[in-house]
Amino acid sequence: MTIPVTVVTGFLGSGKTTLLSRVLREPELENTAVIVNEFGEVGLDHHLLRPVAERTLLLGSGCVCCSEREDLVAALGELLDLCQRGEIPALDRVVIETTGLADPAPILHTVFSHPVLSHHFTVDLVITTVDAVNGAMQLSGSPEATKQVAAADEIVITKTDLAGPGAKEELEARIGAINPSVRIVEASFGEVDVRELLSPVVRVGERDLPRLQEHDTASTHTVSVTFDGPVDWTAFGIWLSMLLHARGESVLRVKGLLDTGGPGPVVLNGVQHVIHPPQHLDRWPDRDHRSRVVFITRDIPEDSLLASLGGFSGLLGAAAVPLGERVSVRGGSS
Amino acid sequence: MCVLCGQDFVGRLHWTDRHVTDRALAAGPGSDPGEHQRDRRRDRAHRVALLNGVLPHYGLKVEDWSGSKYLLRDRKGRSELVQDLGALWPAAQRLSGRVPDPLDAALLESLKEGGGR
Repeated sequence: MTIPVTVVTGFLGSGKTTLLSRVLREPELENTAVIVNEFGEVGLDHHLLRPVAERTLLLGSGCVCCSEREDLVAALGELLDLCQRGEIPALDRVVIETTGLADPAPILHTVFSHPVLSHHFTVDLVITTVDAVNGAMQLSGSPEATKQVAAADEIVITKTDLAGPGAKEELEARIGAINPSVRIVEASFGEVDVRELLSPVVRVGERDLPRLQEHDTASTHTVSVTFDGPVDWTAFGIWLSMLLHARGESVLRVKGLLDTGGPGPVVLNGVQHVIHPPQHLDRWPDRDHRSRVVFITRDIPEDSLLASLGGFSGLLGAAAVPLGERVSVRGGSS
Repeated sequence: MCVLCGQDFVGRLHWTDRHVTDRALAAGPGSDPGEHQRDRRRDRAHRVALLNGVLPHYGLKVEDWSGSKYLLRDRKGRSELVQDLGALWPAAQRLSGRVPDPLDAALLESLKEGGGR
């Protein structure tokens, strides 16, 4: 059994530590180890707390996404060692809190590709905190904030008690336009339902089909597609690996369920060019058995992506069909 | 192999190779070990056939190399051995001098003319 790793990210001051200090009080998270960058101002008195100095080992001629986080290799390795020697209880989960400007992709890359860690840990969720007061401004002004929203499986909107009327709804629309597959949870003072927050089932579906959308947040484009039949998984792997080779820096996120003709779908989940090991489920999580894949890209227009899938339809064995209507969400600076 | 920077992570399974291994693990004890090998060979042959629908646009051809690697060749007889799809595209770029790009309209046109196969 691998130990699930939950990554908590979010912009500077967006409430990551407040959220953590609240949820770690829950008895069901007792055997959760927490890796934080530093002891924050909000005290975390969790007994399995591991502070680390964020250190990234950039591999020779490597790009940032596939750099290895040395600090995490050391911290996760230490936890594993203590656990196997029986010095700490068996771990149910590890939570990694990132700094406000951190890119989640190297964390995923470290866990997926490290020869030892990949056998013992798996990243189950990326949770991003977005502040209801400053979130919209950060999304307009910071590519890092957009990347963190794109990488998220769940968004926790914080400081809703401080936001003006309508701010939360506006922010939700903005987030939904960037990442329509994300689940949005509201939390003021970190008050959230932990079971709901950490439930992995929700992340693979049970949502309304997302719409094809475009918006001008740092030239980010979001395209949601389905296919008119089962997709050849080998051909899809060829197409996606080729796309990531040519345009890896422009692909912020690929996420969805793919009907490959089996009893259940393939869960597809990639953050930048780090692809989670695809899971082949033995049944569908809901009644909708159609493929649904969301692509969040920078500078790749929808038409171009759809034309590419169209060109490959002979190999894929199915034609891509855009989901929903095309709408524009213009992100202002408010 | 990283798709962008070409880092070679020896012994690390590329995501596109994962499913056959997963199927073998899921089958568990008592299952036919030969079935995993047959699945694996079938998948590799299928992948080679599909790739040879795309690579001719770049003047390249691929074949399975003893069931463990792929041999990529150009028309001048130059070749490279690659482990998986993560390594194949950078090698295709080196041999052809072009970036294999699925958004390239000329490639899509050639796929249409070839009937996608």
